[in-house]
Amino acid sequence: MLEIKNLSASTGDTTILDGLSLTVNAGEVHAIMGPNGSGKSTLALVVAGHSEYAVTDGSVTYKGKDLLQLEPEERAREGIFLGFQYPVEIPGVNNAYLLKAAVNAKRKHHGQDEVDAFEFLKLAREKMGLLGMDPKFLNRGVNEGFSGGEKKRNEILQMAMLEPELAILDETDSGLDIDALKAVAKGVNALRDPQRAIILVTHYQRLLDYVQPDYVHVLSGGKILRSGDKSLALELEEKGYDWLREAANA
Amino acid sequence: MTGLTLPDKALARAVDSLPDDSLSGTRQAALARFLERGFPTTRLEDWKYTDLKAVADISRRWLESGAVPVDDCALETEIERIRASIDADWIVVANGEVSLPGVVRDGIEVSTYNESSLAPGFEGPLADFNAALLTDGLHIHIGPDASADKPLALLVIDGADSAPAVAQTRIRIEFDAGANARLVEYQASRGAADHYANAVVELDIAGDAVVDYVRVQNRAANHTQTHRTEVRLGDRSVLRYCGFDLGGKLVRNDLDVEVSAPEADVSIAGLYIAGDGQHLDNHVRIDHQVGPARSAQEYRGILGGRCRCVWNGKAIVQQGADGTDAEQANHNLLLSDRCEIDAKPELEIYADDVKCSHGTTVGQIDDSALFYLRSRGLDKQDAMRALTRAFGASIVNRLPIAELAESLAAMVETRLTDLTNGGSQ
Repeated sequence: MLEIKNLSASTGDTTILDGLSLTVNAGEVHAIMGPNGSGKSTLALVVAGHSEYAVTDGSVTYKGKDLLQLEPEERAREGIFLGFQYPVEIPGVNNAYLLKAAVNAKRKHHGQDEVDAFEFLKLAREKMGLLGMDPKFLNRGVNEGFSGGEKKRNEILQMAMLEPELAILDETDSGLDIDALKAVAKGVNALRDPQRAIILVTHYQRLLDYVQPDYVHVLSGGKILRSGDKSLALELEEKGYDWLREAANA
Repeated sequence: MTGLTLPDKALARAVDSLPDDSLSGTRQAALARFLERGFPTTRLEDWKYTDLKAVADISRRWLESGAVPVDDCALETEIERIRASIDADWIVVANGEVSLPGVVRDGIEVSTYNESSLAPGFEGPLADFNAALLTDGLHIHIGPDASADKPLALLVIDGADSAPAVAQTRIRIEFDAGANARLVEYQASRGAADHYANAVVELDIAGDAVVDYVRVQNRAANHTQTHRTEVRLGDRSVLRYCGFDLGGKLVRNDLDVEVSAPEADVSIAGLYIAGDGQHLDNHVRIDHQVGPARSAQEYRGILGGRCRCVWNGKAIVQQGADGTDAEQANHNLLLSDRCEIDAKPELEIYADDVKCSHGTTVGQIDDSALFYLRSRGLDKQDAMRALTRAFGASIVNRLPIAELAESLAAMVETRLTDLTNGGSQ
């Protein structure tokens, strides 16, 4: 589904990704871990199409297409979803407006009829129920005045509505209390499907207790230092990252 | 004498050609003052950013072509369209001709402007130019028992196809003590010829009256306007004023509010949306002569393409006007790098016990918000429009007259679509 080959990316004069390769197949859940500043968020943003990062080398192929040629909105309509580490507050843009516009942009792109107001509300209420969200959030500005946990639930709500084929969740678990973490995990697990893939960018093992990954990768210095199964995450929790970096430098 | 004058003899002839009536003396006196001063020039601080050369030029060509009223532009379709879009009792002034097609209710008296309509001490070059050529005009009196079930809407519409035209509008509205009124002043124009509309509006709001007032300017793209509103407020009166400037080529609005009675409460909000070739200037002056009283103004501007907007908000707190609370804010969103905003908040405070604040911001679309919306599948243009709409929403949502909401939102949306699609009008 997603094939990243030798990807290098920079912002300004700073190289952040430095020859990163990663393959993600449908049905898989990958966890990407790594110390602060290792390039995890940059990887997520580059796949989503953020213009702040210039790709200087390598390629990204998604469902056989050159992903780097697509605008961010085209990537979204093709099924890529980025759950932001810091969801943006957009006062004055209604949450319901965004959800409906997002769902319909995707449907239109795939030649499907747009959902009407009634269908939309029914769908939104159902998904919000799953995540334990109050329907009144629909009428608020996007993330406006939301707590940290509410913002992350809102990201998961958008993901649940859009039903992406490739979901990248950038530290969606950070700053969450245990109830919010469980709600987020529930949303992610509900999406697990042989047709879909999920990439979890995380600092901690904690989320992985609730969402079992098939693969764990450690990112450091803009490339993948080591890959393994979920036991790697447990090892990292115990030993930290330094032993891996030392092993790599040795 | 500075530059922007009109040919003396031609202007005097135009004034002399008006019917001899109770306003003749007023016209001659105003003509004499105008001939002495001419139009204000950019050398004056108040006119630094708005050059009236184009206005003087249209006026000159209008005089050269005989200064006769040209009525060759069909306005009926537009009048009907506008009337149908807002549920109100309408008074229509089309090319200076007053008609009262709506049922004007009990407690509201409408007459043409006459000698008794004149408010004292109201001068200035543009008011003089207006008074010198004044013919019809409106004088409206709203009593305390007038029903406010529906807003009263004034449509001032003009335009010509064949020759440059100048229109003078004068409206005086008196709100009696305890009146409760909702008014819409809708300025529109049509027609291929260059057009200059010069309006003077006087609002006298007596004690305990509550007035909601919305001014909508949606002129044709090749037309110019100067507009001055003078407001006088009584004890404990409330004015909620909203101004929307969407059309026009060169537009200058002056809103002067005199707070000369205690406990008056004034809120002023404004939204200007300018695209390619537009120049929109809003000057607001609130003169607090006594306290306690409150005034708050918030203007927002959305600028795209090659355009220029001017905002000057001034609050004066005179000596002894203790207990004044005056706020002003102006926020601007620039959608292109070819637009210019000249924003100037001013406070002049001569009293001790006051609470005043002012602030201005100029910004662009927030890139992180834009990326967030695009990452959800919204087109770049749809995302920009959503963010731009959100920026203007804080003014649109404050609209004090609900009957106007739908049509105003549609007008704003049309302009935002023009702007986010490339900036032309």
